[in-house]
Amino acid sequence: MWNGILQNSSIETLTESVKFAERRHQLLASNIANLDTPGYLTQDLSVDNFHEALQDSIAASKQNRNLTGPQDDDSANNISKQQAQQHVHKVYEQILYHDGSDVSLEQQVTNISKNQAMHSTAISMLRHQMHTLQMAIAESVNV
Amino acid sequence: MFTSLDVSTSALVAQRARLNTISGNIANMTTLTNEKGEAKPYQERFVVFKTDDMGQEKGLTGVQVDRIEIDQGEPLYRYQPDHPLAIKDGKWKDHVAYPNINMNEQFVDALEASRAYEANLGVMEVTKGISRQTLSLLA
Repeated sequence: MWNGILQNSSIETLTESVKFAERRHQLLASNIANLDTPGYLTQDLSVDNFHEALQDSIAASKQNRNLTGPQDDDSANNISKQQAQQHVHKVYEQILYHDGSDVSLEQQVTNISKNQAMHSTAISMLRHQMHTLQMAIAESVNV
Repeated sequence: MFTSLDVSTSALVAQRARLNTISGNIANMTTLTNEKGEAKPYQERFVVFKTDDMGQEKGLTGVQVDRIEIDQGEPLYRYQPDHPLAIKDGKWKDHVAYPNINMNEQFVDALEASRAYEANLGVMEVTKGISRQTLSLLA
């Protein structure tokens, strides 16, 4: 039963989003820390790749459920999700400065804000889900 | 999550070291002798940063001070024949060697260092916000 509750809600998906946002924040913090390091190149995780992997694995788990009822995510999906989370790439969008580094403060600050917004959205939705679950458990709206 | 705080802290430490050398440069703008009392003007120092992979996770790079370099440029020569440290002979006879420190350069550098410091403090605030929010799921 519990598996069914977790799979039919978006808790798993939101947890993945939160994990991704935290991982990405670490990289963006590294970028800001190395603002003045000669030869440092901007690194980032691709949000698009992550969303794609997430979408694929949601689609796959839905298909699985239709065929055989609720079951755990198959391992292949988890792997592709993890790859999207761990594939750190160098960003080549900026012209190099004279010291060989290419960190654009404005760009990074924007990315951090966006990432934080994504994180707090996911957390808010997670809280809401938890609240709903709690209401169901307590059989009362006043949880 | 707490590792990003370490990354930002490493940057704060490095930027402070940079600010320290800059204040040293400005403080010694007119220092004509070295610590042994020899007539050798102070020479500008500057820090060089390098990345510091914090050893645990891929992509997590802090920053550290690689070395402190001493500028090897020519000093400034001023014509001061009555000065006790005036050069006795040679091309710069009757001149006194002064440190060749450009105050504008130093101030711009200091400004950059303190802005970078602020930027890292900002990131730390965001990191704290993220951790707080994640922890709030428990409460």
